[in-house]
Amino acid sequence: MPADTGVISGGWEFVWAAYSVSAVILTGYAVSVLARYRAQRRRRGEVKR
Amino acid sequence: MRDSRLPYGLLALGLALLLWGSYWGLFLAPRETYMGDVQRIMYVHVPTAWNAMLALTFAFACALISLFRDDPVWDARLEGALEVGVVLSALLCMQGAIWAKPTWGVWWDWDPRLTTTAVMVFAFGGILALREFVDDPVKRATWSAVAAIIAYVDVPIVYFSVKWWNSLHQTQSSPETVSRAFQWPLRINAFGMLFLMSGLIALRARLAFLRREEEVA
Repeated sequence: MPADTGVISGGWEFVWAAYSVSAVILTGYAVSVLARYRAQRRRRGEVKR
Repeated sequence: MRDSRLPYGLLALGLALLLWGSYWGLFLAPRETYMGDVQRIMYVHVPTAWNAMLALTFAFACALISLFRDDPVWDARLEGALEVGVVLSALLCMQGAIWAKPTWGVWWDWDPRLTTTAVMVFAFGGILALREFVDDPVKRATWSAVAAIIAYVDVPIVYFSVKWWNSLHQTQSSPETVSRAFQWPLRINAFGMLFLMSGLIALRARLAFLRREEEVA
């Protein structure tokens, strides 16, 4: 947190929050793209169920 | 559009680099003098920013080529780059808000950098929405290419906003202004994000191309 010295102490909860949000969004989006791509190929009969 | 294993390789390489760079940034890199541990958000925030702008720059190039060459491959690449660029830009805003709270005391401020970034998310997100509403693939390709070229005007404004206006957001750092101890995790994550972004754009573009083929069949 900002203190009179201008130095921030602590704040690990914000660091974990930023990395967690990034991991969830990037993983979720990658899984969504892979699932949609696979579903589209399955519809064309390129991939077996 | 050819089906190859390359995008999967890019995704795997990107993931491995991001895990390595993030571990380095979180546990091995030294604490910054003034921001303390909160500065570690930089190792994920800055690579996201670089790659969001890179994805949208690729979308701009695809839009230009798509307009001049009547080739659905470039329209598919445009769709892929737009979607990945919007996801990264939205993620960028979230990471920025989380970093802003402990350093500025607020989650959000209508500062030029933040405002122009929000405009970027909504402008390019709007083009994706536009694509959903247009049934004719030829009109969809033309309209979204024109819209992407117009929306791209905002991207250099985002980049230069911190130089042009007296902004709360800090100006761009360079290797001369960043300690060497901070550079390695930053570079590893930047390349990790680059490979991940490239793999995602390639797969998303193939998906768009397959859908278009199904539409016109």
